[in-house]
Amino acid sequence: MNANLAERFAELPDLLSGHVLLSVAALVVGMAISLPLGIFAAPRRHLANSVLNIASVIQTIPGLALLALMVPLLGGTIGYAPAFMALMLYSILPILRNTIVGLQGVDRGVIEAARGLGLTDRERLWQVELPLALPVIVAGLRTATVWVVGAATLATPVGAPSLGNYIFAGLQTRNWLSVIFGCLFAAGLAILLDQLIRLMEMAARERQKGLAIRVGSALMIVLMAATLPRFIELPSPAPAQVLAEGEAPARLRAQEGALQGARVRIGAKAFSEQYILADLIETVLEGEGADVERRDNLGSTIVFDALRTNEIDISIDYTGTIWATIMNRPEPIDRYAMFAEMSGWLYEQHGIVTLGRLGFENAYGFAMRADLAGELGARTLGDLAAHAHDLEVGGDAEVFTRSEWISTRDAYGLGAVSTRAMDATFMYDAVRDGQVDLISAYTTDGRIPAYDLVVLDDPLGVLPPYDAVILLSPEAAARAGLADALAPLVGAIDSTDMREANRLVDLERQTPSQAVRWLLSEIGLDEE
Amino acid sequence: MADPATPILELQAVAKTYAGGVEAVRGVDLSLAPGELLALTGESGCGKTTVLKMINRLEQASGGSIVFRGRDIAGVDPVQLRRQIGWVMQGDGLFPHFTVRENIAILPKLLGWDPARCELRVREMMKLVQLDVEEFGERYPHALSGGQRQRVGFARALAGNPGLVLMDEAFSALDPITRDALQQDFKRLQAELGFSAVMVTHDMAEALIMADRIAVMRNGEIVQQGTPAELLRAPAQDYVAQLLETPRRQMRAIAELDA
Ligand SMILES: Nc1ncnc2c1ncn2[C@@H]1O[C@H](COP(=O)(O)OP(=O)(O)OP(=O)(O)O)[C@@H](O)[C@H]1O
Ligand SMILES: [Mg+2]
Repeated sequence: MNANLAERFAELPDLLSGHVLLSVAALVVGMAISLPLGIFAAPRRHLANSVLNIASVIQTIPGLALLALMVPLLGGTIGYAPAFMALMLYSILPILRNTIVGLQGVDRGVIEAARGLGLTDRERLWQVELPLALPVIVAGLRTATVWVVGAATLATPVGAPSLGNYIFAGLQTRNWLSVIFGCLFAAGLAILLDQLIRLMEMAARERQKGLAIRVGSALMIVLMAATLPRFIELPSPAPAQVLAEGEAPARLRAQEGALQGARVRIGAKAFSEQYILADLIETVLEGEGADVERRDNLGSTIVFDALRTNEIDISIDYTGTIWATIMNRPEPIDRYAMFAEMSGWLYEQHGIVTLGRLGFENAYGFAMRADLAGELGARTLGDLAAHAHDLEVGGDAEVFTRSEWISTRDAYGLGAVSTRAMDATFMYDAVRDGQVDLISAYTTDGRIPAYDLVVLDDPLGVLPPYDAVILLSPEAAARAGLADALAPLVGAIDSTDMREANRLVDLERQTPSQAVRWLLSEIGLDEE
Repeated sequence: MADPATPILELQAVAKTYAGGVEAVRGVDLSLAPGELLALTGESGCGKTTVLKMINRLEQASGGSIVFRGRDIAGVDPVQLRRQIGWVMQGDGLFPHFTVRENIAILPKLLGWDPARCELRVREMMKLVQLDVEEFGERYPHALSGGQRQRVGFARALAGNPGLVLMDEAFSALDPITRDALQQDFKRLQAELGFSAVMVTHDMAEALIMADRIAVMRNGEIVQQGTPAELLRAPAQDYVAQLLETPRRQMRAIAELDA
């Protein structure tokens, strides 16, 4: 089997169980809320309309937004709780609506017959109304199941492991096999559950006990098989690199045990550089005996919220990002002043400790093909003003709403440039292939040299500095040994190193851990 | 057995005004002796169904009193009341998700009879309404003819052994031959089981043939009540005479053809 595929399968037990647990719990609780609510509301027209309206409004919120909103609503908690809440809310409408519609649709004559025969309200509900509304209610449950299993892939950015990890990570590292793998398993799971529910309903309607038992057991087996890894420690697949006793890095071995058994959670945003750095920190801390837990693919502000609330212990962030999006400071200032002011602010406001700068900067820079730049005679951003009408700039959705683009545009007279938002993964290829003329590149991206792109100068100093920094949560900062263990990383990675490591992952299709091995040897942490 | 002199059901000055102000029934006095079959007839919208529904409290009377088996029904739990009164409704009202057997067994089950007794009752009832248990027991209502459905409706209404049966247009959706057969069967059943019955019908011929006594309603009031013979002999109003005219004319026409 191909190594990529083997690695994907190795991740499957964890991600599939996370996915199943999340969606099934959301569906069960969603059903426990919407069924009784629907039963209560169905005979009360006004109430029924009101609850349906509220549920419809929730439904119109895009899934990703609802998930992301749950994090601040739950006070910065990331992981299972916000994902569960959002999906649970998502499951309510279809079940609630179909319960109400199904019950209201039961023939009036049949209901009158039940009353006339002397059935109590409860007997009528259970023996007549619910059985007759069942097909409609089950249709709602099936819709909810397909929605929730699908939407659960969006739980990845809020830190709940799901099959979405394959999709988000695959998208960032252009590992299409991983994306397809995630999609296939999510779709397969949705279809499987949907069909099992359909058969269950059929068994109930036709009162086939045998079928009901078979389907029920199948459902139990699917759920148990999928969630078992959550409850039983399976022998974990061999890590990509096992350091045998004798080979352990000398410096790491010297302090071995400083963090013995300590549980450390590392948060990472959803792009290659973050995976590599999280992997690097993981390797270093595991060398000290720490028990590391990863929270990859978190949304950009979600990482910060999680750090602030001690949901994670360590993250790598960038000075300019904190400055603009967390501190809400519109004007960038000098690099060193910004670092100092940011560190002070983080500590005073949130108790977050800035351990130090890693040594490189991953800024936004506007890059274009070297040959096009030559044609236009463009060396600086200002040189583009004359051609602004003919230019199109591509960038991630975030950048066009940030001060970087707005101040650059205004400072260099680029108001006439048209913008096109796209996933960061695609923008380098897009500029190389001439689909856009300019991109808001990340300056450490390995594709800048590889695709023969040039980053245009910013003589007015509009673009803020983006020094990579190691941040520790308030609780982590107080933990003995953690800062010491990470200290060797401060100032250890320059832009060339980072760009090369990124290139290995993005272009050479190496795994982040392979890039980390290269990085460790490059910065001399694996030998003394 | 109750004293034949004490009525099983007695309505006094019963009135019903629906929410919205429709005065559907006014000042209705009715009395039903044990074993008696009373037909309630009159033009469409005159309040027949409303009177019937007040008797088993599917509708709440807005005035007057209804006494069933010596007790004012206003003080009886509606569910307990309905379990003592059979109900055959306009259309058959069978439960589409229950088999014939389950439809008939519903009241015995609710009354807490043990399964063996329920099953015995189902067989007994199906025999009474002349439906073969083996052939029809496991069928769902959609797989029955209209006449068969109506028979199941009777069986279901009678399964709890009620002292009183209320019927709303029970025969009106059937073809004449089936209707005639069922009417005969119903009379036979009533004679066998001895229950009292109030049947609503807008078909005067049906009322004349089946009922011991007929009450004619118009605009929410009873304009005349009496035995079929009394009505035929002395209709109290033109309206009653008109209602009687239709079956009479038909009979005359048939008699002339026959001659
Ligand atoms: N739930 C209700 N709310 C308001 N008005 C009603 C209601 N049910 C019946 N009515 C009105 O009460 C009057 C009597 O209705 P009812 O159903 O008792 O007539 P009926 O004699 O059974 O007629 P039909 O022979 O057509 O069945 C009618 O005018 C009808 O419109
Ligand atoms: Mg009627």
